[in-house]
Amino acid sequence: MSITEITIANRGSELLRAADCLDRLGAERNLAPEMVADMHVALDEILTNIIKYAYTDNAEHKIRICLRVIDNVLEAVIEDDGAPFDPLAIRAPDVSAPLNKRRVGGIGIHFVRNLMDEVTYERAGEHNRLVLRKRIGV
Amino acid sequence: MDLREEKVGGVSVVEVKGRIDSNTAPALGERLIANLEAAKVRVLLDLSRLEYISSAGFRILLLAAKRADETESRLVLCGVAGKVRQLFDLGGFLDLFTIVGSREEGIAAAG
Repeated sequence: MSITEITIANRGSELLRAADCLDRLGAERNLAPEMVADMHVALDEILTNIIKYAYTDNAEHKIRICLRVIDNVLEAVIEDDGAPFDPLAIRAPDVSAPLNKRRVGGIGIHFVRNLMDEVTYERAGEHNRLVLRKRIGV
Repeated sequence: MDLREEKVGGVSVVEVKGRIDSNTAPALGERLIANLEAAKVRVLLDLSRLEYISSAGFRILLLAAKRADETESRLVLCGVAGKVRQLFDLGGFLDLFTIVGSREEGIAAAG
């Protein structure tokens, strides 16, 4: 089992560190680039949401990301101490609406739901805990 | 993300290389909006060297398309392939834009 963990600060410039971490795990475990790419999108969307919306103060916060491959599943666990927020509760956008009625809100989460095989959210004490799972070789 | 811009005939060709994410999307937005400021302009966005796009990037593309509509301009995309194309499809964006294969086709379509 490979496991890799990284803690980033709530700044946009930190996103690439998390992405690098995923690339390293992908290379180490020889994961299909397609699948790693899907996880990149999901991780980016979730972390960007947290950095933009989770905090009401201007303080620095830590976001913990744990990546691992277990039982033929690539898994990312993301924990933050921001305001309670369940991304799965967001209404799916209407992706067939014409240009003048099209809204972009919710597209990121729409990507996450569709690219991952499983997404679960829980509020654990003062933390949001989101788990992304993508099956290997499907 | 690197942006390269050139004029071919009356078409502004903007080539995007690298990643469009929440960090880089604003710079692309500024460039596209600057191009679409005047009425009835023609812009070709070449995405053949784009490696990655997130929802922040789609937000900018959507705003640019709306602006193009308002100014009776033409915004054409080319080189939408692979993973990038999959996200266009997933988000229902393929029908919102005029998308062609190559840069040459794009210049013809925009011009």
